[in-house]
Amino acid sequence: MSSDTLSVEVTLKRFILGATTIIVAFLSASCASKPPIHEERASAVDKHQDRKAAPDFTLKDASGNEVKLSDLKGQAVLLNFWATWCGPCGLEIPWFIEFQQQFKSRGLEIVGVAMDTEGWSVIKPYVAAHKMNYRVLLGDDPVSQLYGGVDSLPTSFLIDRKGRIAFVHVGLAGKNEYAKEIQGLLDEKQGGIITRTALDNVVPALLHLGPTK
Amino acid sequence: LFLPSFIWAQQNKLIVSAPAAPVELSRGSKISIPVKVSTLPGFHVNSDKPRGEFLIPFSLSWQQSGLKSQRITYPAAETIKVGNDDLSVFTGTFNVTTEFVASSDAPAGPATLTGKVHYQACNNQMCFRPATAEVSVPVVIR
Repeated sequence: MSSDTLSVEVTLKRFILGATTIIVAFLSASCASKPPIHEERASAVDKHQDRKAAPDFTLKDASGNEVKLSDLKGQAVLLNFWATWCGPCGLEIPWFIEFQQQFKSRGLEIVGVAMDTEGWSVIKPYVAAHKMNYRVLLGDDPVSQLYGGVDSLPTSFLIDRKGRIAFVHVGLAGKNEYAKEIQGLLDEKQGGIITRTALDNVVPALLHLGPTK
Repeated sequence: LFLPSFIWAQQNKLIVSAPAAPVELSRGSKISIPVKVSTLPGFHVNSDKPRGEFLIPFSLSWQQSGLKSQRITYPAAETIKVGNDDLSVFTGTFNVTTEFVASSDAPAGPATLTGKVHYQACNNQMCFRPATAEVSVPVVIR
């Protein structure tokens, strides 16, 4: 084999390797950039500039008062989609009751969106039986569509003080994980930077919200 | 033979099937018809008698037809623990059997029994919205 032939072959191999790398990187980026929200077990947007605005909505509480999510801007919000028939949701509720007591004075607002189609006739007794001390609203399909469909419960969104989604949990999450994330969001008021050590267990990902197809 | 009845409801956590071949019986006689239900691995549905007032029971109901459903028999439930709660559930593949009787004046000829399975599926981490799956069974009354 001549040196010219060898040079061409090496160049060709480098080209193929480079092209393959670029294609793989492109495909990886394409796949990673749009994770369906319902397939995320737990995800976080740890870079502030990557956070997307939480879709706004207005729902009613048990007294018929309208509550608009955007009115809560300035506070960190734990937006929890749940239902009375959902066992794992029931495991989280005592934690949220505790968080409400622990963090409300620091600016945490917990909003439970109940997805029971039977409405308040089943939600009110549940709220009373479980002594839920935070805001509970009656959810509907249009709102769940805004948040990716919410196919499974519980699904929770942690929203920062600027009204942007910072963390998503689909399914039962850990109490300590929630607590760390909440504290991180509440601390942003002072420093504007999340302490990474408090978020070691989360998977960075971008969130893409919108109506499901 | 069981005919899977398109039951990909509730994010495909349950498959319901019923006999595909026509079931034959005479006027005045009884017959037991099984409906086969399979949950996907890792998932469960509440039993017909769940523990907990807010949980949604598994149920099979039939529309009115020339056959009268006399008794519906559900399988024995399993008990599983989720958190601190003991749950009464069905998992895996199981049959729900309905005893039908054809009255003495039932119209002779082919007919279709149409039933609905109402259920709510979960795994240890999450639950899916309550759903209803339809099942149909061809019958011939002689």
